[in-house]
Amino acid sequence: MIPLELNILLASVMFTIGLYGLITQKNGVKLMMCIELLLNSANINLVAFSAYQPNVNGQVFALFSIALAAAEAGVGFAILIALYRLYGTIDLDSIHAMRW
Amino acid sequence: MYADYAYLIVALPVLAFVLCLFVGWHLPRGGGFITVLATLGGLIISLGILKETYPNQIVHQSMHWFADFNVGILIDPLALVMLLMVTFVVTLIHTYANGYMNGDPGAARYFAEAGLFTAAMLGLVYSDNLLQLFIFWELVGLCSYLLIGFWYRKPSAASAAKKAFLTTRVGDVLFLAGIILLYNNLAALNIPLKPGEYLLQFPVIYANIAQIPPAQLTLIALGILGGAIGKSGQFPLHVWLPDAMEGPTTVSAMIHAATMVTAGVYLVARMFPLFYAAPHGLTAVAAVGAFTALFAATMGLTAFDIKRVLAFSTVSQLGFMMAGLGVGAAVGAAAVGVSIFHLIGHSFFKALLFLCAGSVIHAVNTNDMREMGAVGKYMKWTMYTMLVGSLSLAGFPLFTGFFTKDEIIAKAYEYGVMINFLPYIFLVAAAVLTAIYTFRMWFCVFTGKERSNYGHHESPWVMVGPLVILAVFAFGFGMAAQHDFYSYLDTNFEHYSVNFDELGVIGGHAAEGHEAAGEGEGAGEPWYIKLLPYIISIGGILLAGLFYWDKIKRFDPSQVTGENDPLRRTLLKGYYQHEIFTAWFAETVVYGTSLICNMIDIKLVDGWLNWLSAWILGLAENVRKIQTGVIQNYVSAMLLGIVVLVVVITLAMEVGLV
Repeated sequence: MIPLELNILLASVMFTIGLYGLITQKNGVKLMMCIELLLNSANINLVAFSAYQPNVNGQVFALFSIALAAAEAGVGFAILIALYRLYGTIDLDSIHAMRW
Repeated sequence: MYADYAYLIVALPVLAFVLCLFVGWHLPRGGGFITVLATLGGLIISLGILKETYPNQIVHQSMHWFADFNVGILIDPLALVMLLMVTFVVTLIHTYANGYMNGDPGAARYFAEAGLFTAAMLGLVYSDNLLQLFIFWELVGLCSYLLIGFWYRKPSAASAAKKAFLTTRVGDVLFLAGIILLYNNLAALNIPLKPGEYLLQFPVIYANIAQIPPAQLTLIALGILGGAIGKSGQFPLHVWLPDAMEGPTTVSAMIHAATMVTAGVYLVARMFPLFYAAPHGLTAVAAVGAFTALFAATMGLTAFDIKRVLAFSTVSQLGFMMAGLGVGAAVGAAAVGVSIFHLIGHSFFKALLFLCAGSVIHAVNTNDMREMGAVGKYMKWTMYTMLVGSLSLAGFPLFTGFFTKDEIIAKAYEYGVMINFLPYIFLVAAAVLTAIYTFRMWFCVFTGKERSNYGHHESPWVMVGPLVILAVFAFGFGMAAQHDFYSYLDTNFEHYSVNFDELGVIGGHAAEGHEAAGEGEGAGEPWYIKLLPYIISIGGILLAGLFYWDKIKRFDPSQVTGENDPLRRTLLKGYYQHEIFTAWFAETVVYGTSLICNMIDIKLVDGWLNWLSAWILGLAENVRKIQTGVIQNYVSAMLLGIVVLVVVITLAMEVGLV
């Protein structure tokens, strides 16, 4: 069995990559991908702890989280498509109708 | 048994109001028959109550409302004659309105408002306490506003409605002040109230007037008189009444004959013991009444609008009623009977006159008497019924107006013998003018030549029928009811065992005055005083005829007064009231004051606030830069925060704080 520490390490690396992308990227689709990374690193943690402590709660919770992520991605991409139709770009820095 | 249904007298018109308002436009003629039936129901119940209680019972029902107040019904002779008059006259007016308002797109609204108005007036009349009376009083004011402004698309009607509402409001404020003052004084007495008795109930008020300090009594009386002046169109709050002619003529008949304007007189009559006890209270009433009677009559002489003539006449006749109450200082409680008798008689013939005028206007399509003439050729019924009304108003012998007005003048003479002749002189002069302007109007409208092209047709039966019924009453009521009426109303305050001798001492009315009045019923008047009413009425009518009736015309009005005669101009302009009230007072004084206030408001009050808000806005403009709206910035800040948090917690654990 893979040690728990490796699981957590994997999750941490994924989380850090996601966070780095979130801060540095301008492209809307890339941002969506980074958010998925964040969510899934958390899912890995949930599943890992669930496996090491014989208890199915964490896996159930991860399933919820995945369903939620799917819905969130659906809404997010829909918004991005609408933005693209309106502005012809998904560069989030150049879309600033609602900020100063 | 009828008395158990007394509440229906108000409830039925309210029901009619609701029905007409919501389903009226689905019904023929705006559902006017509902309102007619509702008032007719009130009339039947009132007649039943009269039959049960006549001559010496009263109906008093009351229930607790809140705190020190109650709602209740008090039907004593004074209220009952008013109820009968209002329901009777208003039933006829509503019937007439079914013809008059036929085809008007707002007919349903008219009948709804008229129903509410009737309910308010009836509720006012049989309220058993002053607070409830005041509520209905305000409701009457509101309905008059709605009805005068019935044709609200016409600017003059809208402004007349506003004027009526605001002018009467001045009086109402005084009235409310009077009520509050009265309540405070009564509360200060710590009267031991029996269960079912409340402070502002009329019997309680009557029983405790004597204990209120006289100076307070005078203030209360003046406040209440202020309300009455506003509602009854007495000087100086009479300005709204002639303008109120902008409403449909049926409204004029209802407001200016039978109901609203009589409310003021009724109020003074209802509070008569208080006025009697208040030093100078009745003097003020007499002064206001007598002056208004003459003042309005002179303006009636020169008006060209047929309805304005009648409006001025109403103001003048209300002055007679007020003066009739005011002379109670000399003749005691009999003044109430005298005044209310004129009120009832007046409501018959004035409603008749207004409805006749409406009938004429309906056919001729103008209000201006200069464009009428010879209308009598085509409208026989209207002509003769209006003749009856005019004779009655002018006080022609044997007609109702003769008995009622003559009695007031006779009482004013007694007052003159004992106290002061001024009211008598004013009233006699006003009576002469009444005869003259009434017949000036009648001759102008119905005789002579046609002075313009107008429609030639008699009004439909639904309009003529009420005219005939009213004409019968305008002729015969005075003769038939005279003695019973006085003996019935004179007992009114005996039901509450009001001791007028005691009150008279407080009010400063000499007790010996009563005895003189009691024995000298007519005996003290010299023959020429007795003859005077005949001379006044017949002479006045003849004088009007000499000027305006082509058959016996001897003079031309232009021989007496030229175009530029200052007196004629003054009268025509209504004593320059418009110039004084509107042009000078409103547009110069009030407008100037408001300009200054406006400047202070804008520069000082608003200026300070605007500076403050501008400063805060400027501050916010800088602070809002923190909110970039860029997600990356927020995430970085969050990350930074977490790092700091982690570092702090770790350090704290190292040190051992946690």
